[in-house]
Amino acid sequence: MHEWKSEILQRLKGSRLAPAREAAIVDEWVQHLEDRFEELRRDGLSEHEARKTVLAEFNETDLLPLDLGPPAPHPPVQAGANKSGNWLVDLWHDLRYGLRAMRKNPAFTAVVVLTLGFGIGANTTVYTVVNALVLNPLPVERPSELVAVYETDKNRANVPVSYPNLEDIAQKNQSFTAVAGYTSILPLTFLSGSGTERVFAELVTGNYFETLGIRPALGRFFLPEESSTPDTHAVAVISNGAWQRRFGGASEILGRTVNLSNLTFTIVGVAPDGFRGVNAIFGPDFWIPAMMARAVEHRDVLNQRAGFDFHAAARLKPGVTSRQAQANLKAIGASLEKEYPEANLGRTLALGPLSEAALGDMKTSVLFGSTILMIIVGLVLLIACSNVSNLLLSRAAARKHEIAARLALGASRSRLMRQLLTESMLLGLIGGAVGLFLASQGGHLLWSALPSEFAKNLATLKVDTHVLVFALAVSLLTGLVFGIVPAARSSRTDIVEVLKEETRTAGRGRRGINFRNVLLSGQVALSLVSLATAALFLRAIEHAYMLDPGFDSRHLALIMTSPGQAGYDRTRSDQFYRDAAARVSGLAGIQSVTWASNLPFWNRATRSILIESREKRTTSDAIATIVNNVDLNYFATMGIPFRNGRDFTELDRDGSVPVAIVNETLASRYWPNQDPLGKRFKFSGDNFYRQVIGVVKTANYQSLGEDPQPCIYLPFRQNFSNAMVMYVRTAGRPESVLTGVQREIRAIDPLIFTDDTRTGGKLIDQVLFNSKMIVGLLAVFGILALGLACVGLYGIMAYSVNQRRREIGVRMALGAAQSNVMGLVLRQGMRLVAVGTAIGLALCFLIGSTLSATLYGVSATDPISLIGASMLLAIVAALACYLPARRASRVDPLTALRDA
Amino acid sequence: MRPNTDDREWKKGSAELLILSLVRDQARHGYDISKLIEARSNGALKFHVTSLYPLLYRLEERTWIEGRWVEKPGQRRRRYYRITAEGRKVLARQCQSWQEFVGAVKNITGIDYA
Repeated sequence: MHEWKSEILQRLKGSRLAPAREAAIVDEWVQHLEDRFEELRRDGLSEHEARKTVLAEFNETDLLPLDLGPPAPHPPVQAGANKSGNWLVDLWHDLRYGLRAMRKNPAFTAVVVLTLGFGIGANTTVYTVVNALVLNPLPVERPSELVAVYETDKNRANVPVSYPNLEDIAQKNQSFTAVAGYTSILPLTFLSGSGTERVFAELVTGNYFETLGIRPALGRFFLPEESSTPDTHAVAVISNGAWQRRFGGASEILGRTVNLSNLTFTIVGVAPDGFRGVNAIFGPDFWIPAMMARAVEHRDVLNQRAGFDFHAAARLKPGVTSRQAQANLKAIGASLEKEYPEANLGRTLALGPLSEAALGDMKTSVLFGSTILMIIVGLVLLIACSNVSNLLLSRAAARKHEIAARLALGASRSRLMRQLLTESMLLGLIGGAVGLFLASQGGHLLWSALPSEFAKNLATLKVDTHVLVFALAVSLLTGLVFGIVPAARSSRTDIVEVLKEETRTAGRGRRGINFRNVLLSGQVALSLVSLATAALFLRAIEHAYMLDPGFDSRHLALIMTSPGQAGYDRTRSDQFYRDAAARVSGLAGIQSVTWASNLPFWNRATRSILIESREKRTTSDAIATIVNNVDLNYFATMGIPFRNGRDFTELDRDGSVPVAIVNETLASRYWPNQDPLGKRFKFSGDNFYRQVIGVVKTANYQSLGEDPQPCIYLPFRQNFSNAMVMYVRTAGRPESVLTGVQREIRAIDPLIFTDDTRTGGKLIDQVLFNSKMIVGLLAVFGILALGLACVGLYGIMAYSVNQRRREIGVRMALGAAQSNVMGLVLRQGMRLVAVGTAIGLALCFLIGSTLSATLYGVSATDPISLIGASMLLAIVAALACYLPARRASRVDPLTALRDA
Repeated sequence: MRPNTDDREWKKGSAELLILSLVRDQARHGYDISKLIEARSNGALKFHVTSLYPLLYRLEERTWIEGRWVEKPGQRRRRYYRITAEGRKVLARQCQSWQEFVGAVKNITGIDYA
């Protein structure tokens, strides 16, 4: 009703309300008065009376002053708070304000939080692994004092030391408070009520735990007398994990006996939780005194000065630097070489951080993998940051009015910037929380891909304080990185300009777009780098599978047996090997059966040799070689071709002339341009010569595509071993015969452990496992990077189409066809993609030289990888541009022009 | 019908509590709120336009309630007010102190409504 309106306006005069606000109030009050009027009429009042009553009620001087400040969507800027200097109060206000702003825009918040979550999650996942394996691998006392002591010879750096050398180092040095030794992990057979099981043990010197500064969780560690006389004290310390797993964590474990490889050990102590030995990756179930070596290993490890059986860990004396210790070790090495030239010729001693020794053989691959993954997830995070930065810049355009209003109300620019940064940090923190969740899930997923047979002995991933601090730091830093540019830009907002509603002025907007374009091209470049890296490694793996390992890995089944661990002596073992081979040969689908002491790719150069007539060796002769004891028919079964000479026969046995077959690498190194057949050599420590009767092709012994290594094959009948691997060549799939083979062996003796089996294919898989793991992660992160970059591309294209609606409308009104408009937008987007791709390719070439050393037979500029990655990127990017382009082509010129 | 001074003081103290209670369970428009206050107090308390709306706006400004225009077919659009999460907390607090206050008055004056 008209008169209500004029009454209300009269009443509101002087309130100086914004026109829109005033209209809303009038609307609301008119409705109220109208309702009241109608009610009075229904109550029977005449129209006149009713109107009079309504107006009287309306004009009542009321208890509340007419105070009609507009309901601000946000609390007013705390202009005065600056003066108070109470930053905590400011922070609190900023945080609340930030949270409210997020609630107001849930879609925006969700996109930002998820983008950051993925970026931070990827980083935290990789960091969790790096933290567990590389940064904090050893839960020991004062880890900085601990060093690893190695032997180094001409060909190989950092190999373990022999027990006699270890003892001499411990006695002769002036640098260490203690020197301890531990062997690599030995697989043993654990005999329990339910059957046989594979467990792992380490032989350690008596002072091992004390040197590391470890205290038992239960019981004690080794006593001096248990570590001084060989073969007398069968005691063991059990790992915390094995104690929980096998004995339910019962305290009665102390004094209990366990049967390990047919020896009875008494458990005297339990290692503390989290201690898995020096090796950070794989830990034993039991620690056994080194003095029990002969009984456990059936080798005279303790007296073999030429061996490489013990890793040495030493604790520096207070005040001794590692440089001084290094000099000291060098002197000891020289004296050991002089004193025992036969064993130690060409060997020196060296020292390194124990944390590196903790990675053992996997040091290179773990460090390399960690580095490259950290770099790639860093790129992913950068892309995420630039994405969010772009989103914030777009939103800043939408919030221009709010910001201008606050500046006009007296908020200082620095105060405003702090407010905006608080908002980004808050977003960063929430993203970080999501990231932490994703990382813990990712870690589980990653670890579940590990081979289950080893899983229980592997390092565990945990989200500890280090990881939490990392995630927090990354989140805050991320918030700062993506927030700083938008905040700085927003706080520079020109108040007058904005309040005059000049939103379409080109200057500032254009600059904003340009900066966003730079960010976008950067994202495209970085995601191309991640994709190309993943593609290169993928190609390398593919290539690795095609590499020739030097033997035929197809149709090959392997069964590890250890009659020695079942208590067999030499006679019984020999009988077992013969019986088992005979029984298995009789099975259907078996082409040939043989035995060898080594598993393919699990070889290690262990012995150095002396050539007849050249006993006065030069250091270049002092090369350690791989030794493999093999049965008849080994080379035929493995598909290793002979280059010269003959295979072993039944006649090559104890009592006949000791013979050997060598590989080409060894032959050409020791007898270059000569016929090696008939030449003689002996192992250091042996007192007899062996005659070379054959030369075979060099194979891969430790990894695929490795540098050629010398290898000597000995006839198993002249060189007994109480643990052998059965090699079975099958006609069909090797998996199908395994059960039958195991059954035949168990039929001979159920106590012989047969559960550890491999096929040729699985061997190759295992050799490539680390690389495959890294490639898998690289692929995931590459795709994540691509996804994030394309979401960013889509966002900016959609925003730009929206900004240019008027221009597009004009173009269409002037006769541009839909396809022209679409082409225009697509060209704009794809130009950015092209620039980004060019930069990305340039980066790939730059980092190529670093990568090439680690790629199996694939060039770092491999065209298939680079073109493939670029194509994938182009296709996905085109899709991201296509959607906004299609929207642009559907702009209705009329609407666009009218709205504008 | 000028409100006497007592009435005025009572209203001042309780107005927020009353409004928050009324929009606690469902969104209501201003007229509805004023009618309910009058009816439920048997005419003892009355809020008219100029007293009610500034109060509603203030509560809205404090984000204890939020208003939204709703259009229904055949009617003029009305602004409906609903309580926010923050408003709920305030209401709970106010109810509690109101009860304590009433209890204290009862103990002192001996007035018992039961």
